[in-house]
Amino acid sequence: MSDLIGYLVTGLGIGAGFALVASGLVAIYRVTRVVNFAQGAFAVLAAMLTASLLGAGVPHGLAELGGVTLGALTGLLVGAVAVGRPGTSPGTSLIVTLGLGVLAYAVEIVIWGDQPRSYPGVPGVAELAGARLQAHYLLIIAVTVPVFALMAWFFTRTDPGRALSACASNRYAAQVVGIDVRRMGLLAFTLGGALGGLAGVLTTPVQQVTFDSDVALIVNGFAAAVLGGLTRPVVALAGGLLLGVAQTLAAGYGGGAYQVEVALVLMLTVMIVQAARTGPVAETAR
Amino acid sequence: MTAVVETRDLTVRYAGATALDGVDLTVHDHEMVALIGANGAGKSTLVKALSGLLRPDSGTITVDGRLAQVPEGREMFGDLTVDDNLRLGGWRNGRGGRDTTAIYDLLPDLAGIRTRRAGALSGGQQQMVAIGRALMARPDVLVVDELSLGLAPLIVTTLVGHLRALNTGRGLAVLLIEQNARLALDLCDRAYVLEAGRIALHGRAADLARDPRVAAAYLGGHIEVTR
Amino acid sequence: MRRWIPAGLLIAVLALLPPLLPERHLATFVLLALAATVTVGVSLLMGYAGQVSLGQASFYAIGAYAAGLLAVHGVPPLLGLLAAPVIAAVAATLLGAPLLRLRGHHLAFATLAVQLILLSLLAQADWAGGAIGLQGIPRLSIGGFELRADLGYAYAAGSVLLIAVLIARNVIESRAGRGMRAAATSETAAAASGVAIGGYRLAVFALSAAFAGLAGGVYAFYLGYLAPGSFPVLLSIEFVVMAVVGGLGTIAGPLVGAGVIVLLVQLLNTLGTQPGMPGYAPAVLSYAVYAVILVVCVLYLPKGLVPAARSAAGKLRRGSA
Ligand SMILES: Nc1ncnc2c1ncn2[C@@H]1O[C@H](COP(=O)(O)OP(=O)(O)OP(=O)(O)O)[C@@H](O)[C@H]1O
Ligand SMILES: [Mg+2]
Repeated sequence: MSDLIGYLVTGLGIGAGFALVASGLVAIYRVTRVVNFAQGAFAVLAAMLTASLLGAGVPHGLAELGGVTLGALTGLLVGAVAVGRPGTSPGTSLIVTLGLGVLAYAVEIVIWGDQPRSYPGVPGVAELAGARLQAHYLLIIAVTVPVFALMAWFFTRTDPGRALSACASNRYAAQVVGIDVRRMGLLAFTLGGALGGLAGVLTTPVQQVTFDSDVALIVNGFAAAVLGGLTRPVVALAGGLLLGVAQTLAAGYGGGAYQVEVALVLMLTVMIVQAARTGPVAETAR
Repeated sequence: MTAVVETRDLTVRYAGATALDGVDLTVHDHEMVALIGANGAGKSTLVKALSGLLRPDSGTITVDGRLAQVPEGREMFGDLTVDDNLRLGGWRNGRGGRDTTAIYDLLPDLAGIRTRRAGALSGGQQQMVAIGRALMARPDVLVVDELSLGLAPLIVTTLVGHLRALNTGRGLAVLLIEQNARLALDLCDRAYVLEAGRIALHGRAADLARDPRVAAAYLGGHIEVTR
Repeated sequence: MRRWIPAGLLIAVLALLPPLLPERHLATFVLLALAATVTVGVSLLMGYAGQVSLGQASFYAIGAYAAGLLAVHGVPPLLGLLAAPVIAAVAATLLGAPLLRLRGHHLAFATLAVQLILLSLLAQADWAGGAIGLQGIPRLSIGGFELRADLGYAYAAGSVLLIAVLIARNVIESRAGRGMRAAATSETAAAASGVAIGGYRLAVFALSAAFAGLAGGVYAFYLGYLAPGSFPVLLSIEFVVMAVVGGLGTIAGPLVGAGVIVLLVQLLNTLGTQPGMPGYAPAVLSYAVYAVILVVCVLYLPKGLVPAARSAAGKLRRGSA
């Protein structure tokens, strides 16, 4: 029983990380219809910078902020290349972000090398209903939930947020009322970068990063987001948590093997069921 | 009378096909002008060019003041509330110009549905929201693309009443694009007839309504086919 | 007659070039020919079936492991090599039946997921050598004649490429191929004609997997050793880069794309291993090359090198006439 609770909470912690990656994907996709393949790279870059800053004696909090800021700036940069040119189709943009994700490898290796990095998070072990788990997982959950609430507030209660939602809802109408949809696309990428960065800095203490950790991050993030059709942040949160729990349960009771498979098969099943319900999805990537 | 909108020799092409060909059109302040024409004549293209969403291939567009449009098909932000739709209409005005209370005074029907999702409204309600959203821009001239399309006669009468009131009460100039030519010619001071991208006829609306060519093509004995 | 000129040219290059190459460049030739073989399939898939596969290296791996495992268990290597494309195509058919309902980025992620699952399963499969890999794969022997030197593998890889190119050309020129091309550009047309297009899609998916599997088979015998790490996701992305850069929907495209990229990466690799260069230089340079070429190409040369060169040549000819 206490095993189960431990797995559940750990799973929620891991899932919260997926949900943050997913939320960045969703933030970008809603506005630009681009699936941003470089989303995992934001997390890796942010985590690497945070590790360096902490190593240089910058205190916790400030170091993480630095990482998230780098994520946001990288997001802006990726957005500028991917959707900055008028007339770039979402399919083309996806391939561009794929290329930029690979470019990030080069940058990361030059600056930080190709060895895994990590840093200490919340120290110690927490006891929860008899279950023992790394206390840091609780921090991940404690940050993620308010971040999603904040996002909901931002998208519905602030004018820039409303403008982003407007672009997501009806691009043409957004142009009619004078919203610069390309600038909104860049804002979405910046936001996505910050969210990806946050995912990276939060999860690194429990899951070390390597330059190529981005693949696992993006796939799990996509799996979480695809549940809500890539457009619904709340469903992405639920999807991320579900995925995290499914993985830890599989790992816990399955002896460590096949946790990757669980998430991926879940994602494939969801997509195939969705496609069967709605007919082939019309977007074509090139 | 000064012109709020003036196009000179306006030409717009889509990948080779010419949609507008040397259009000269003027809307003076306080004036209501109708633009009628068959499907595909180029009316919506003119609207897009006037609002700056399409770049003309040649010719000039002069807008003295602010222009807002009620787009064809109403183009709601379907996932957003009515109030948010209105608020975004004031996007260009900056934060200070996004207060929606004045719109509810002008269009009281909207007050009761301000928190509803725009996508879930009836066509008439959506058209009302679209007008309110355009008014949020505090325009000097309002371009309405297909006011009555797909709406019940009663609603159309209400909408027409609002437009007339805005025109006489606040001096708002209106360029009305309308499939129902009789309605447009009755309501407006002057009118243009667009045919295959060219202005075929223009003049006082009352005169055009009596013009046999207009009567035959747009008011004629055959049943008006609306989509 | 004219349609045989490019094929003749390709045969001439594949036959005459290897003996002229210095030993150290033969390895590059082999890898180039294998990469080009896989890319011919990717290009067919993307250009003619409108599908992006980010998991094409899975079928390369399946072919390689199939050939390797069969050979390790005593099946004659040539038989193993012949089985490789068949097994890859069967796997693609089984996977494709559900997956090809997906389009665009959904399909891209699905194929990526398939590859990650495959890699994870391989790493856990003791019968396939696990994470350490499959060792002791015998060399390829054809008619009792064992291929030892790189030259032999250069011819093997060249033949495999030639087979892929000829099959791809026949597919493209067939009636089904022309129908598919129309369908690739219009989802609506595809939906309208229903079942038939779905069948073609699956067939092209299986065919492209067969090409990858065949190339993988040669790769297994050439290296004599296979590990999950030999087939990273990045490899799949590289195939896409080669296909996009060369130009989708042409036969020359994948050859040019693979050629340009492999040679460029090789060149930078040589540069990166010069004395005085940091240890990470080769990896960094190759990542940067893939990335920059891909981005610049899709943004500024969206049709790819071959179509761009053709239209430039056409303009020149018209200009001088
Ligand atoms: N985006 C576009 N690309 C190419 N051609 C277009 C485009 N939009 C409109 N057209 C063409 O330009 C011409 C004018 O179209 P427009 O929409 O302006 O007509 P309209 O008068 O508004 O018609 P309707 O009464 O049907 O709304 C038509 O022939 C149309 O097919
Ligand atoms: Mg129109």
